[in-house]
Amino acid sequence: MSAHDTPKAIGGKLLAPPMNLLLAIFGVAVVVMAYRFAVGIGPVSMMTDGFTWGIWEPVNVVVFTGIGAGAFSVGLLTYAFNKGEYHGLVRPAVLTGAIAYTLGASSIIIALGRFWNAYWLPWIPYWNLGSALLEVAVCVLAYVIVLWIEVIPATLDGAAESRDPKWAAFGQKWRPRMKKAMPFIIALAIVLPAMHQSSLGGLMLIAGPKIHPLWHNALLPTLFLISCLSMGYGSVVVLVNVLEMSWGAKLDQQLFAKLSKVNAGLLFLYTVLRVGEIVVKGKLHFLGANFPTVWFFLEMALFLVPAFMFLSPKVAADRGRLFAAATLAIAAGAFYRVDTYLTFYRPSGWTPLGTPYDAGWNYFPSIGETVVTIGMAAVGVAVFVLVSRLFPVVVVADRAHSNPGGGKVQAAAGR
Amino acid sequence: MSISRRDLLKGAAVVGAAAAVPTAAEARHTRAPDPDAVGMLFDATRCVGCRACQSACKVANNLPPDKVSAENGGVYDAPQDLNGTTKNIIKAFADDTTGKYAYMKQQCMHCVDPSCVSVCMMGALHKEGHGKRDLFTREGRAAEIAGTGIVVYDRGLCVGCRYCQIGCAYLVPKFQWDEPIPLIVKCELCNHRRDPKRDWATKKDPLAVANPACCEVCPAKAVVYGKRSDLLAEAERRISADKARYNPHVYGSDIGGVAEGGGTSVLYMAPAGVGFKQLGLPELPEESSAAFSEGVSHAPYLNGVTPLALYGALAFVIYRNQKKEEAGEDKR
Repeated sequence: MSAHDTPKAIGGKLLAPPMNLLLAIFGVAVVVMAYRFAVGIGPVSMMTDGFTWGIWEPVNVVVFTGIGAGAFSVGLLTYAFNKGEYHGLVRPAVLTGAIAYTLGASSIIIALGRFWNAYWLPWIPYWNLGSALLEVAVCVLAYVIVLWIEVIPATLDGAAESRDPKWAAFGQKWRPRMKKAMPFIIALAIVLPAMHQSSLGGLMLIAGPKIHPLWHNALLPTLFLISCLSMGYGSVVVLVNVLEMSWGAKLDQQLFAKLSKVNAGLLFLYTVLRVGEIVVKGKLHFLGANFPTVWFFLEMALFLVPAFMFLSPKVAADRGRLFAAATLAIAAGAFYRVDTYLTFYRPSGWTPLGTPYDAGWNYFPSIGETVVTIGMAAVGVAVFVLVSRLFPVVVVADRAHSNPGGGKVQAAAGR
Repeated sequence: MSISRRDLLKGAAVVGAAAAVPTAAEARHTRAPDPDAVGMLFDATRCVGCRACQSACKVANNLPPDKVSAENGGVYDAPQDLNGTTKNIIKAFADDTTGKYAYMKQQCMHCVDPSCVSVCMMGALHKEGHGKRDLFTREGRAAEIAGTGIVVYDRGLCVGCRYCQIGCAYLVPKFQWDEPIPLIVKCELCNHRRDPKRDWATKKDPLAVANPACCEVCPAKAVVYGKRSDLLAEAERRISADKARYNPHVYGSDIGGVAEGGGTSVLYMAPAGVGFKQLGLPELPEESSAAFSEGVSHAPYLNGVTPLALYGALAFVIYRNQKKEEAGEDKR
């Protein structure tokens, strides 16, 4: 049954033109980053004392890790609720998570003014436990390690199937041991993201009136946690669809339809909490003929449209439509996150009429900032392609699938 | 197998355990002012806008000029706002309706319960008296108890994340954007100009812990340095001596109102008929942002019990499921 489909290394040429393009984009980003380290953050970005995080934190960290939360949300379903049928989704989701989180964590280094002092982060006596950012930093770093440990079984499988007897023996010896340890690692891989994803929302609690009241509330941690689960389920559906199109990966539409029902529940829960808070806390008067109100309704629509789509049997049966709905679910979470961190953040806060008080700062991402963000995303895709070609991550459909050179590459990996 | 209602409920329970209910967030209260805290009192009715304090601050803190070219030639040290080379600034604010204007001094407020200290990952911004770091030695704890309430900056532990800039309601911490090795820049009450020969331990002489250059140089005595409790008494004295002159509220204190965001160690007096909002100071709730944020964030953790319990439960369930699955495979 589907629960025990074995993933296979995809094989194929490592440096195909799309890969070269991804690496070229990353190369440009590396140049910008090098320049940033030489001259400071100001000259490459539009960041100011007013808009101090620009797009690097909101997008590279908060959105990337939201997309990478597929590992968390699928793991929760597969292991905590023991839905074995989702097993085939775990490896691609975990690899995506490992890459997205690694990128998030390394992007931070570029954004940190005094990054070398991050050296002290593991030293517990210095920890300020009141800081949500400390929780995020420590927890994300720990989770990056846990995610890559979760990738190890795939590499051990790769080694076990290697033609080199030494590697094969190594893989066969360590595979069962790793399997025994996995429950304790997987449990950590659920607790850690639950903690730091809610803290990513908790981070913005302190900004108080700087964030528009329609976005700022005491439910920020809860809403960020729900939105990451929803983004995670969405990203798994999108990812496997893309893998099917490019490499003929196995795609179980019924499974996705079922998974998406869970996602619909999350999207509805989010909407109820978000709107409920506004009603209960008497914030309805902030709704009016202004930009935040319009944007708020667009955002809510972005949550509700995929939620209703997921429930429709027509969408469940149609690959294209389900793919579109999943994309919308990711976009909903991504917009919510960027809006909270940036779009509706103003250093001097908001008037009751929904216009920001002028504090003398304006922000729009510079080319340099954008290049770094896109470059990071590009290298993420490149690493995913590379690892999937070399190691058994993706479950390939049973139908005959030719991949010239696949065996060769696998042998190369096992060397 | 489909997702049953029971599964969804279980899922909701896990989500709930991790996020919990923020309404139960009562763990952290706004801090009370330290009895020995030092600070400054700025009286906007006295300031003549000479900017001597601005120059004195730059000299005392060894900060480079903020060069501005004038239209008719000449270069001036004329910062527009607090920035990476300016820790103290005088601004003029005009009343929208009356056109009456008043001078305003801006620098770190040395809050009673500072957001920047609450958010700072490793305590690079640290309020003397609010032990976060040196709790492991008796001497360290004693020093914290005898704290001055000055918010100090430790460049050795600052990672330059700029979360303090997100947290500060007064937009005080500034970042050196054009430096490859940047610093966070903000007033530390000239604690480097303190007089070590004076007695803090027994007499609590404020000059033993800091000596702000701006207060020393001010010709109009518009800004004075001292113990926060003494400054409050002085403010009350001035108001009762000339009620027609002053706004009855002293910003950052409970005098004539409610202490903004839990209060500040730098206190402000405004002319009668001029609100503090007109002087560029934010209207803040009584509860400090730090208390709100830490309260909401910490409540679900139950002092660390929640993550441990969640981990234990998950490890057990996953382990059991794996065993079951293996048993099932053997049968086949």
